[in-house]
Amino acid sequence: MAAARRQPVAGTGMLRSPALPVVLILAACAIGITALLPLIQSSSATTTAGDVRALETQRNDQQARLRALELEIAQLGSLSRIEQEAAARFKMGPPKILNYITVDAPAPEARKIPGRYLAEEPRKDSDSPSLFEDIVDWLTP
Amino acid sequence: MRGQKRSTTWRVWTVVVAIVAVAGVLIARLGQLQILDHREYAAEARLSHVSEDTLSGRRGALLDRNGYPLAGSQDSFDLMVETKAWSDAKNAAEAAAALSPIAGVPPEQMVASVSGSSIYEVPVTRGLSYDQAQAIRKLGLPGVRLMASSRRVYPEGNLGAQLLGFVGQDNSGLTGLESDLNDVLGGAKGTLTYERDGLGNQLAVGERQEVAAQPGANVVLTIDRYLQRLAETELDKTIDKTKATGGSVIMIQPKTGEVLAMASRPTADVTKPDLSDDSKLALFRNKAITDTYEPGSVFKLVTMACALDLGLVGPYTPWHDLGVFRADNWTIRNWDYSANGDQSVTQILSKSLNTGAAWLATLAGPEQFYAYVDRFGFGKSTGSGLGGEVTGQVRTPASDPGSWRSVDMATNSFGQGLSATPLQVLMSAAAIANDGVMMKPKIVKEIAYPGHIQTMAPEAAGQVIKPETARNLREMMGVVVDGISPTLLDVQGYKVGGKTGTANLTVDGGGYKPDAYISSFLGIAPLDDPVLAVLVKIDEPQGTPWGTVVAAPAFEHIVEAALPYLNIPPTETALVSEQR
Repeated sequence: MAAARRQPVAGTGMLRSPALPVVLILAACAIGITALLPLIQSSSATTTAGDVRALETQRNDQQARLRALELEIAQLGSLSRIEQEAAARFKMGPPKILNYITVDAPAPEARKIPGRYLAEEPRKDSDSPSLFEDIVDWLTP
Repeated sequence: MRGQKRSTTWRVWTVVVAIVAVAGVLIARLGQLQILDHREYAAEARLSHVSEDTLSGRRGALLDRNGYPLAGSQDSFDLMVETKAWSDAKNAAEAAAALSPIAGVPPEQMVASVSGSSIYEVPVTRGLSYDQAQAIRKLGLPGVRLMASSRRVYPEGNLGAQLLGFVGQDNSGLTGLESDLNDVLGGAKGTLTYERDGLGNQLAVGERQEVAAQPGANVVLTIDRYLQRLAETELDKTIDKTKATGGSVIMIQPKTGEVLAMASRPTADVTKPDLSDDSKLALFRNKAITDTYEPGSVFKLVTMACALDLGLVGPYTPWHDLGVFRADNWTIRNWDYSANGDQSVTQILSKSLNTGAAWLATLAGPEQFYAYVDRFGFGKSTGSGLGGEVTGQVRTPASDPGSWRSVDMATNSFGQGLSATPLQVLMSAAAIANDGVMMKPKIVKEIAYPGHIQTMAPEAAGQVIKPETARNLREMMGVVVDGISPTLLDVQGYKVGGKTGTANLTVDGGGYKPDAYISSFLGIAPLDDPVLAVLVKIDEPQGTPWGTVVAAPAFEHIVEAALPYLNIPPTETALVSEQR
């Protein structure tokens, strides 16, 4: 009688309640996974932050190199170097006689300031209104 | 039995009280540490794992009028060492030995700079390059870190040294335009706060707060690097040729007041500033605006302008030169002690007659004469905005009623007894070249802020003489040049005007230095429509001191090279061929 009470009658559709050890194991697994999630998240954040720092360092390095190259170009274009190269390599010197001529062509435009030294142009806003602006316009006809 | 129980209870209570007392002490101590002294300990703990760096915005560049950089900034790194990390002598010596070949600093010097310091972190060397910084990073030494900084670089070398100035270790301008424009060039500093590990490296996921530094603005000057170099080269050549002690050359555009070149000698080296003593420091002074001198005969232009503008004389008004002029029992003579007889007013200028200048000033009278001296900007700032500019001195009946005498005006009329800066003298000629309109000297053309550009418009100081007076004076200046030997002054293809000057050198405390002169030439070119006003001033030339001999040839060389460079076509027969 007692055995018949413990086991559900076949075909009645009743489920057997799980044994306590199974419940405990499942609960432990759930807790473990729950505890693991922040760890995975933290690890992922650490990796991403590390990548960001590495990229920032790379960006700073590239900027430093770019500026160094800009100044190197400026030094290569310095008047004293040009004169030295002209005299030493091309054997050039000041003219002994100056002849002036007129030419039937407009003078070249004055040298423009290199763009990197000019102020950045302000960003132009998009001509088409944003969704938010559309909603505000619809609400306030 | 009852007595034993009572004894046990007493002992238990003793232990309990002792435990409670100890716990109380611990709680009190914890309260002190965590509540009362919280801030102090929190700050100490924060210092051990949180760093706060000051971020400097990239210092703006100084550019010439065509955009060529005269001064720029290069990223560099400062090597910082924690004092605690090098507290152990053996570890410090090993770390310093590893750093030394890369940083280029002797290890003993590095160890000494850290061990002698009481602050948390010490910079052992500054201005390391990117490659040096990378090599040091790879060493991974504990307590050693690199702080981003920048280094000032002068692509044109020492060009315009006194005008540009230099910056200190903290990247703040100390002299010249670097100092005058420091707020504009320097930008705004920012801060970076971050948690770091035991090696001093930034933690990937730690506290991090950054207030970004704002970069400085780029400043476009009115200086032209080619003309500046031309001015310096000719100045050096003239000083070398005449064995002079120094001098100045300034070039400006009369119509705008834009300074194209400003050079003085002796000068200092901005690329490697030597500040070891006051005499070295004095070399950084921009003498074109900070030092005054008696302008001498070039000042006769002002006297002549006064007399012509008041309508007292015309260019061909006759005058008889007796060779002497008396004022207050003093006798004034010409520079060559000559008596020239019948002369025109133009000849007073072309022959540079002191007696004639004194006569013209007397015709005008002190009130009018000094009014014109004031109009031409003597005795007051030119408004250039350059730091350290002085005003010079002019004694007038109003400013010094007790001791001023008529002879003072007589000597002032030919540029003695008053002092002016080279820039003031040049601006007077620029006003004549610009139809009587005096412009304020301008050194900054544009400032490119991150977002907008501020353009500096030319600013007029005022109409100092009538346009027709200015035209007459220009013609007279042309006559002056015509009278100079072509071997000394002959500008091929262009007609120019000018005035020579030879003045005694004053000494501190009054009086003149024997046999010491300042020779100068003040000129404009081309004469019919001047685009250049140039002053060449040479201090204490050896041998013949006359401005015609010493300074005029330098003016010729400068103008001959500068006018074609500025696309000014020649006006005379130098035009040898024409293509159609």
